[in-house]
Amino acid sequence: MPAAPRPTRRTALALGLAVPAAVTMAACGGSGSGSGEAGGEPQQGGTLTYLEPQTWSTLYPPAGGFYPNGGVINNLTDRLLHQNPESLELEPWIAAALPEVNEDATEYTFTLREDATYSDGTPIDAENVVKNFDLYGRGDAERALTVSEAINNYDRGEVVDATTVRFHFTAPAPGFAQAVSTINSGLLSNATLDRSGEEFGPGNARDIIGSGPFVIVEEEIGTRLRLAAREDYAWAPASLQHEGRAHLDEIDIVVAAEDSVRVGTVTSQQAHIARQIEAPDEAQFEAEGLALHAASTNGVNNSLSFRFRDPALEDVRTRQALIAAIDRQAIVDALFSDSYPLATGILATTALGYVDTSENYVHDLEQAASLLDEAGWEAGPDGARSKDGEALTLTFNEALPQPRSREVVTLIQEQLAELGIAVELLPGDQAAQDAARTEPGTLQVYHSMVGRADHDVLKSQLSSDNRNALLNGHPDGSVGDEELDELLAQIASTPEEEGRAEASAAAQAHVAEQAYVLPLFEEPQVFGYVETVQGFATESVGRPTFYDTWLTS
Amino acid sequence: MRYLLRRIGGALLVLVLAFTAAYVLLAALPGDAVLARYGNPDLGLTADQLAEIRAAYGADRSAIVQYLDTAVSFLRGDLGYSVQSGAAVSALLAEALPSTLTLAALGLLVALVLAVLIAFTATHGSLRGGRPTAWLRSALRGLPPLMVSLPVFWIGIMLIQVFSFQLGLVPVLNAGPVQSLILPVATLAIPIAAPLAQVLIRSIDEVSAQPFVAVARSRGASAWWLLWRTVARNALLPALTMAGLLFGELVGGAVVTEAVFGRMGVGQLTAQAVAARDTPVLMAVVVLSTVVFVLVNLIVDLLYPVLDARLRRTDATGPARTGATSSAPVAPASPEPAERSEVTAR
Repeated sequence: MPAAPRPTRRTALALGLAVPAAVTMAACGGSGSGSGEAGGEPQQGGTLTYLEPQTWSTLYPPAGGFYPNGGVINNLTDRLLHQNPESLELEPWIAAALPEVNEDATEYTFTLREDATYSDGTPIDAENVVKNFDLYGRGDAERALTVSEAINNYDRGEVVDATTVRFHFTAPAPGFAQAVSTINSGLLSNATLDRSGEEFGPGNARDIIGSGPFVIVEEEIGTRLRLAAREDYAWAPASLQHEGRAHLDEIDIVVAAEDSVRVGTVTSQQAHIARQIEAPDEAQFEAEGLALHAASTNGVNNSLSFRFRDPALEDVRTRQALIAAIDRQAIVDALFSDSYPLATGILATTALGYVDTSENYVHDLEQAASLLDEAGWEAGPDGARSKDGEALTLTFNEALPQPRSREVVTLIQEQLAELGIAVELLPGDQAAQDAARTEPGTLQVYHSMVGRADHDVLKSQLSSDNRNALLNGHPDGSVGDEELDELLAQIASTPEEEGRAEASAAAQAHVAEQAYVLPLFEEPQVFGYVETVQGFATESVGRPTFYDTWLTS
Repeated sequence: MRYLLRRIGGALLVLVLAFTAAYVLLAALPGDAVLARYGNPDLGLTADQLAEIRAAYGADRSAIVQYLDTAVSFLRGDLGYSVQSGAAVSALLAEALPSTLTLAALGLLVALVLAVLIAFTATHGSLRGGRPTAWLRSALRGLPPLMVSLPVFWIGIMLIQVFSFQLGLVPVLNAGPVQSLILPVATLAIPIAAPLAQVLIRSIDEVSAQPFVAVARSRGASAWWLLWRTVARNALLPALTMAGLLFGELVGGAVVTEAVFGRMGVGQLTAQAVAARDTPVLMAVVVLSTVVFVLVNLIVDLLYPVLDARLRRTDATGPARTGATSSAPVAPASPEPAERSEVTAR
């Protein structure tokens, strides 16, 4: 049996990786948020050095989803509401209370607190808040400013009085309350909102004015950003650990692209904390005085979307065969660590509306082979499967922002080869991958994930109007599975919470039943830090929040 | 004078060809800078919204119109704006250049010193023959081939690991201006020193075999005097050619070095622009490095007559005649053209 030696090697690898990872997970107190254990009374002062693998590209909040951008925006701006990263509940922030929402969720009324100001001294009043959302909800193509993905059906904002704003929508927008809590809705001063897309880019950082606990005081294009605490900050969300100004004096954000340099700089105590610690490097943080923080991203798991309108995958049995043929556990064991739990559904277990659909993802090679036979894919003399002279060849994209995508696809290539399915990896940089992503016939399998702690995330990922991961909608406007789009639209248009959860569950059941998606693992944001860092926390999709962070002397 | 004009004409042709080739290659790849920035699924833009933004950037025009547009702006000295960040390319370059120039100049200088040191020591007369020193000589001679086969990024990472993370001698972050240059300069210098040392050793060996060296030695010249006054002068020519060609290595090395050490500079700018398919920045970098490459090689060519009297005689219109010093007698040297073609073939 040719496959015999492999499981042994895998098991050995699994043991080698799993043990240290388990220890560090325990040390950082679970994967929710907050580095947890108290090291005495918080102390004020000090400069925290934070290493980023990439340089930021824009501080325009709706386009700030990219982690290097989001990490800055999250500390620079406040939002109307605060989403508790553990319970995912919404809490008041710049809005003094939760909004009043009309019955069909087409009108939201917020009452603002009166004391909050921007760092240029201007107040956060109703007029300014309306100006923010009129831009984020509509975008401005002429200034190359995009619409926020999280805001749907936006019509207009209305100034009711100095501290009351009302937003109107053309159709129910139940996701809006959560949308205003994300970094994509970070509030900016009037002057900042008048800038063009280019003026939100590198070279302009100090002129981007928010109301958050930190302000940008120094910028070195491409390499460094220095943030300083705002002395008069006094409007932090109530559920955070303290009030008033941030504990830290300054944050030094430094770009260190090379993985080994980032890891080594922290482990040699030259920097305090680094983002994106790759799974193989996690073991180095077991050492004395070091810790890991794996933050859940609370959205669509790292998964493979099978593009069912492609001739190769139009038969549900072919897709079921792929699911049975791919050994997810082996992939996670070989390439990742315990910070990357095996997915049990398309959504992360901590995501809103999560449903366990794991019974649909059972690894069974024999089952896979017979499903392929049934679907008409016959094995030739060399083992390669084909139907009507067409070989079964699948092209995967390389998900460049996701961890080890190339290695994942390479392992799948090996696994599927045993069944006579050929796998190709689309080469090229991000622009090439993006160009191929929307073109029918180029990719059969799309590797991706989305982090966002709202029911809408499922629609974002799968709907033909949004990311269209399944390529359900073709560029000619045709839609393959109308029912799926309908179910997804329900999630984003049912006014009350309960109905949304039901709609989400129905969509998840449909996706699992049709074998559209194979979820691989729950993708975390992994931070490694030295233990003098206390009170480190992340927001609901794993971006760093430095407000409660402090340094022991 | 005509020689100079001919060289400048050739240089301009190289520039135009490099510009066009870079543009065509970038245009031939699927996707473009606007797509790289706005087509990212993280923004969740619809096809219509994307089309609007493409129109705002003028990316919906035909490739030839865009090419001509870019070419005309470059001729006017307008390098355009980075699509990724919106910053003016000239501003980005102005910020990046000084740090890269410092790094490159120091890297080249250290590489030259290192190469000369290795070559002179390895070929030094006192090491010849004697059995106890044979191992040292072969070790030194084995050094350049070893150094040339080390990838730059590996050298950089190893230097950081050993000198910063293990020994804690040089901090990676918050280092002073001098400290922050030590490891990057070393990283850059090692792979550049290697081929220089190889060529130098080889030509010193060849020159040393010439009869006039034997004559000088028989008259009682010391080993150092021989090396310095007769051999080195003749052996420098191929090494100089090599130094000109190594400029390309310097550019490539700077990209890797700056990325590994997180230094801002033209290399880092290039690496980020490549990742974002930022055409305006990439075109500016291509033009800049082509100009410098052509200039460096022009200067090297003009230096030949200064170093070698025979070239002065054969090329009577040589422009460098005035700069030549005539104090040291230049003895007949190894056949230069053969040496040069061997170097270029490497």
